[in-house]
Amino acid sequence: MSIERIYQTDVLIIGGGIAGCFAAIKAKQEGVDVILVDKGYVGKAGATPMASLGYLVYNRQWGTDLNACIDAVSQKGEYVNNREWTELVFKESLSTYEDLIAWGANFPVENPDGAPYFKTYPPFTIVPVGTPTTGMPGRHQAEKVGVKIMDKIVITDLLKTDNRVIGAVGYQLLGEDLLVFVAKATVLCAGFTSVLKGDGDAMAYRAGAELTTKEYAYTWPAAGKLPGGRRGVAAQNVFMRYKDSQGNNIDASNTYEMDLTMEFLVHAGRAPIFWDLDSATPEDIERMRKRQDSAYPWDPWEFDPAQGGRIEMNGGDGGMNVCSQTGGIWPIDTKCATSIPGLYAAGECCGTRYIGGYHPAPGFGLTGSAVTGNRAGRGAAEFALQNKRAAVDKEEVARLKNILATPIERKGGFSPRWTAQMLQNIITPYYMKYIKHGDRLKAGLTIVEFLRDHVVPKLYARDRHELWLAHETKNMVLSAEMVLRASLFRTESRGNHYREDYPRRNDPEWLAWVKLQERGGMMELWKEPIPREWWPDLSRPYHERYPRRFPGE
Amino acid sequence: MAIEKINPELCTGCGTCVDSCSMDVIRMDEKSGKAVVKYGEDCVLCGFCSRDCPEKAIVLTPVMCVPPVVAW
Repeated sequence: MSIERIYQTDVLIIGGGIAGCFAAIKAKQEGVDVILVDKGYVGKAGATPMASLGYLVYNRQWGTDLNACIDAVSQKGEYVNNREWTELVFKESLSTYEDLIAWGANFPVENPDGAPYFKTYPPFTIVPVGTPTTGMPGRHQAEKVGVKIMDKIVITDLLKTDNRVIGAVGYQLLGEDLLVFVAKATVLCAGFTSVLKGDGDAMAYRAGAELTTKEYAYTWPAAGKLPGGRRGVAAQNVFMRYKDSQGNNIDASNTYEMDLTMEFLVHAGRAPIFWDLDSATPEDIERMRKRQDSAYPWDPWEFDPAQGGRIEMNGGDGGMNVCSQTGGIWPIDTKCATSIPGLYAAGECCGTRYIGGYHPAPGFGLTGSAVTGNRAGRGAAEFALQNKRAAVDKEEVARLKNILATPIERKGGFSPRWTAQMLQNIITPYYMKYIKHGDRLKAGLTIVEFLRDHVVPKLYARDRHELWLAHETKNMVLSAEMVLRASLFRTESRGNHYREDYPRRNDPEWLAWVKLQERGGMMELWKEPIPREWWPDLSRPYHERYPRRFPGE
Repeated sequence: MAIEKINPELCTGCGTCVDSCSMDVIRMDEKSGKAVVKYGEDCVLCGFCSRDCPEKAIVLTPVMCVPPVVAW
């Protein structure tokens, strides 16, 4: 930890997935210096390289209707989306798609009639993603335009001077150096929580930023681990027919909105769930093969969609899903600026709420990340051009270096791997993450507070690899606290947030977003009302406003 | 389990797998100059190492070190 290097730049991008690459490329094109750091290898790390299931594109020439698309997101999401952002993501999706093609991404045509999009997600047009996915093309373009890429760098905290974010502190995973980045503007593109570690949300929280919407999580119908690895998952994504243990049919094909059908089924004791390949037609099988071959051709395990039978779903995290929290850092404008000057956020760690309480279809995540990356990169560059470099507070650097090094300087303590597993055992089961109750949430919070106060301060790292795990574990514990508190705070059910103790949607009281921020050492939560013009029509009866029925309402 | 081994007879020490692994499972061994599995328990079976190895030197098995548990 003894060698400290300082890197000065105009714009620092933390995280090199699709959001970070777009942000870096677009910032560079404004004529500023850009450093892009990632704790992995940009183009092969995070969620982006795995994302093969779709890319949302709104293209008038394909006959889609913009208002129908925006309305569908609002209706499916039960009105907790931010319609301004929903519209921006649709409108700006096409240019990001064209950029990616120019950079070498592959969007194969799989539809028999030659349409470049799936026909199964009306009114949306989702384009299949092939290989290479959107990861490496982003890296190559960033390199081409002169972005300085630094791989395998773990960022532990944002650096501030006088309530302005002026960079970050971190270290080399594979080297000896400790690093201080000094930047006029910083863009957090560190991805989501639950599957990824929520580093972006956590660092922004510790720096005093406002966050939002931590009570919502995506679902993914029955995306457990099938035999046949990812090629099985790809096939499943275009053929979603299941049976429960009593032989009842579950057709999830039209729940590509990814609601809680599977979770309620497990909760009712009707699992195991079986993937019903017996009912696949030759057209279904052909469609599955095509999807496997273009989405995951490199996955080492074969899976034959023609094998028939009923396959017991055998993966997941105690429920059916290993999916990510939505929500993130609150953007104060459409340039993705956060509540702290000098700090921007893009991608899945930016809480734009362009989707609402349900994920409308696969492919929204990638596109939303590209659009916000685009805007945040340009916003950060503009800030850098308009503002002077701030002085570095040396005491603050020393404080953050101390926090960085504490786990590796300890002689003993708690294992980060054990801590992460104990945490995940508490918060990932369906009965905490989707089908909630105030009693269980409070019980979970009691354990999370214990981990936060007693275990996290004593996390022990034997080397730089475990130091990275320690910092991730700390961020995961903080994220878990945000999720549980936000879930407790929203005393109603809406979208994928279901409370057994509050089973109905409560309009207009809960036509609001949940926000949170650190104030005086405590996590404070409050409501931000949703603008009235985005409300559903309250004169319509409840059952028409909300076609989905929840148990107990 | 998960990443089983990197075959030293096929490995040329190109380092591609170290880049491909976002979980820092693989490191270069200073003495042999070849890639070795250093933190195998953190492998999440993304498959990028075996996909990207130009010598096909990496062997994976479809069993996670921390197996997911289901509710049934």
